[in-house]
Amino acid sequence: MTTALKVNGKAVSLEADTDKPLLWVLREDLALTGTKYGCGIGACGACTVHVNGVAQRSCVLPLAGAADAAITTIEGLSADGTHALQQAWQALDVPQCGYCQSGMLMAAAALLASNASPTDADIDAAITNLCRCGTYVRIRAGIHRAAATLRGEVV
Amino acid sequence: MDGTQGVTRRGVLKTLLAGSGVVMFGIGLPTREAAASAGSEVTSWVLIHPDNRVVIRIPQTELGQGVTTALAQVLAEELDLAWGEFDTEYYDAQTNLQRNNVYVHTSTLASWAVDKLFEPMRVAGAQVKHMLCATAAQDWGVDIASLSIAQREVRHAASTRAAGFGALAARAAELPIPAADALTLKEATHWQLIGKSMPRVDTRAKTTGAAIFGIDVALPGMKYAAVRQSPTFGGRLKGFDASGVLKRAGVREVVAIRGGPSGYNVPPTLWDVIDWQMDDAVAVVADSWWQAQQALNELPIEWEPGPQATADSAGIDQRLGAALDTAGQLTREEGDIERAFAAAERRVEAEYRYPFMEHAPLEPMNCTALVTAGGVEAWAPTQYADEALRIAAYAAGVALKDAKFHLTLSGGGFGRRLSNDFVSQAVQVAKALPGTPIKLISSREECMRRGYYAPVARARLRAAIGPDGLPTAWHSKVAYGRAPVQPYGMSRFPWAVPNVRCEYATVDSPPPFGWMRGVAHAQSLWMNTAFLGEIAAATGKTSLAMQRLLLDEAHVTTDRPDHDDAVARIRRHRDLLERVVARAGAETLAAPGHGRGFAVTDMSYVPGYYASCVAMAVDVAIGEDGDIRVLAVHAVADVGLAVNPDIVTAQIQGGIGFGLSNALNAQITLKDGQVEQANFNDYPLLTLAEMPTVDVELLPASGRPTGIGEDAVPVVMAALVDAVRAAGAAGIRSLPLRSRKSA
Ligand code: FES
Ligand code: FES
Repeated sequence: MTTALKVNGKAVSLEADTDKPLLWVLREDLALTGTKYGCGIGACGACTVHVNGVAQRSCVLPLAGAADAAITTIEGLSADGTHALQQAWQALDVPQCGYCQSGMLMAAAALLASNASPTDADIDAAITNLCRCGTYVRIRAGIHRAAATLRGEVV
Repeated sequence: MDGTQGVTRRGVLKTLLAGSGVVMFGIGLPTREAAASAGSEVTSWVLIHPDNRVVIRIPQTELGQGVTTALAQVLAEELDLAWGEFDTEYYDAQTNLQRNNVYVHTSTLASWAVDKLFEPMRVAGAQVKHMLCATAAQDWGVDIASLSIAQREVRHAASTRAAGFGALAARAAELPIPAADALTLKEATHWQLIGKSMPRVDTRAKTTGAAIFGIDVALPGMKYAAVRQSPTFGGRLKGFDASGVLKRAGVREVVAIRGGPSGYNVPPTLWDVIDWQMDDAVAVVADSWWQAQQALNELPIEWEPGPQATADSAGIDQRLGAALDTAGQLTREEGDIERAFAAAERRVEAEYRYPFMEHAPLEPMNCTALVTAGGVEAWAPTQYADEALRIAAYAAGVALKDAKFHLTLSGGGFGRRLSNDFVSQAVQVAKALPGTPIKLISSREECMRRGYYAPVARARLRAAIGPDGLPTAWHSKVAYGRAPVQPYGMSRFPWAVPNVRCEYATVDSPPPFGWMRGVAHAQSLWMNTAFLGEIAAATGKTSLAMQRLLLDEAHVTTDRPDHDDAVARIRRHRDLLERVVARAGAETLAAPGHGRGFAVTDMSYVPGYYASCVAMAVDVAIGEDGDIRVLAVHAVADVGLAVNPDIVTAQIQGGIGFGLSNALNAQITLKDGQVEQANFNDYPLLTLAEMPTVDVELLPASGRPTGIGEDAVPVVMAALVDAVRAAGAAGIRSLPLRSRKSA
């Protein structure tokens, strides 16, 4: 059956099992491999994308649940890697292995979209993604830095 | 993060971004033929394209430890390359085997990358520089000493002649490679890159989704495989009924995978230290990995559970206890402990337990393989690509020369990817479907249940206390589950105690063994430090006071064969301990339920083995519900020469997260022969909210670089346990702390 989606601003229509999690649709059917598989049960956040602007774990979202929605993946966060968060990540060299970082950036982007000045407690509550490399210190710093940039402050 | 370093690093980055023509680089899929066809391989280490593009080969796996950046810095320094004037790619394992290990050190383990490759890669850079300059010197009839390199050109200042690398490379490659001792390497005072926090070469790709990890490899016509090994360790496959699942949409094939060692032709030295056991497995191949995994979940499989069918954690613990009741292998002995115990004023005794732990790198195990009439080709994130190549050839049943292996970016490793079971599995599946590329991915559940865990351990310690309240004898005995001999964990403590005996034993336990970041130091330092804390408590001292008393070179007995080494270690450990006390600002925390703990160690395995040394202070608060919150960590590290201080800092920050995660939460348990944990819901990892603030100080550069991938892990675990005791909890006797049993 055909499912229509908008992915990173482009309309797509797919022939895929509507039970298939959006994660695997993105990775296998649309070759958008920036979105990662880490657990498949919604526990790690490596698969985080925006669905109509809201951060969601795509491994537990069946394609049917994303029908007609606007999906943004890490590949669509910015055209050229210049979202304030991406720039902050680059300035602070946040990633280690990098495997969790697409999901981290998408979760952080959703946070900043709704909260221009997140406190540490806001960050604690919003960023529940897992990083086995332990880059949390820099993720926190990166979010504060990007928030400051977006507020027009000089960092 | 240390403020000074942060500023320096940002300064570097700003300079870079301000300059025009910055080359953006990262590791792509390293197909060497494609690269080589357009360039000249001046030596095995450096490829130069006609357009002056330089490619530096990296013989280590990028696991997130920043090795690509740090090693490139080292080679680029001697070749007088500015940052941004080169790309990197992985070494090729087949080339390394054919060229007699020209890349010197290719397995990624034990924090050895920079330690072992610093000199070889400086020499490699200097060799290429010499060959390029010698070519230009010949062309121009000038003395090679009058030439210099800038902007990827060889220049002759007197005549203002210049020649690009690209114009010289093909002829330079024909010259003999100069011997290392014929070259003069740069003085440290002239370094432009080494010792500076250059930005990582792969950060940009890792923030845009462009970075290609093993799991992202895509080949035309590729199918996906989901895999399940025997649910019991040592179990055998009896059979399966594929008829049902083959009717499911997208399902192509069900393949039996033969167990056995996952390594072949392994150098004898490595047979002893890497456990290659892999059991029978079944794989389902489908058009989508999700389809394959769904079908595998439905597939009726019959297993012969094997000799470990009834193994459980309680039984393993009993066997470890029995081993502690019999004499072990002697791994350290000084003085006469029996006499000291006989004369003791009092004794302290305690037993400590460490569970199996899974590495849990965030990228699941995976490998992509293609078997054709011509041979086998495989792609995977592994910490040991040379061995992955050998396994691929073996599993495909082809000659080694007909195998090709492509190393990929790796979503963490921590030791798990030293075992290449996933390569054998993928190639066996691909062999059943010749001509079809197969991407095999282990589900998180499969990774969790079929790990190569850090081994379970149980240790019994006793100390004799003299009239002055100091230990006169220290006796430890440790029993590990299945593991190679790793006595250093318990026996390499630096504290001066006049009479010491350390014993060691292993018992067979079901899961195969795996090295995990921090190795036996991570299993043991917290035990030794906790025991020291118990001795201190028994004699009315703080644990810090006891650490200081025993880090006193005056107490090193003069007849110790390693006397000078022991004194040097004591001085260094004491120095770092005092520095971290000063950095943290106080010896104790006054607030009720709060505690500050201290620990320090190098990662020395044997006397004379010089390694990085780290000291930490960890602050905790224990809530009314008994739960532990880690508030802050201060660290002071001596890594000799930090090639890239910001990456060193990141390794310490990350190692703190890794160690805290393990000490607070990690445990794999067995019941009825099977692992009880399956995913991150029952094997929780540290979260961002649980991460403490981290402050890192690096000692000024001195000497040569030593590794820092691991040392933060044992130190933070030990300081955490010490802090929990300081906060008022009874002596900690087992990990993880969140299911703790106390004295
Ligand atoms: S893969 Fe989706 S939350 Fe882990
Ligand atoms: S950077 Fe490796 S898991 Fe986060």
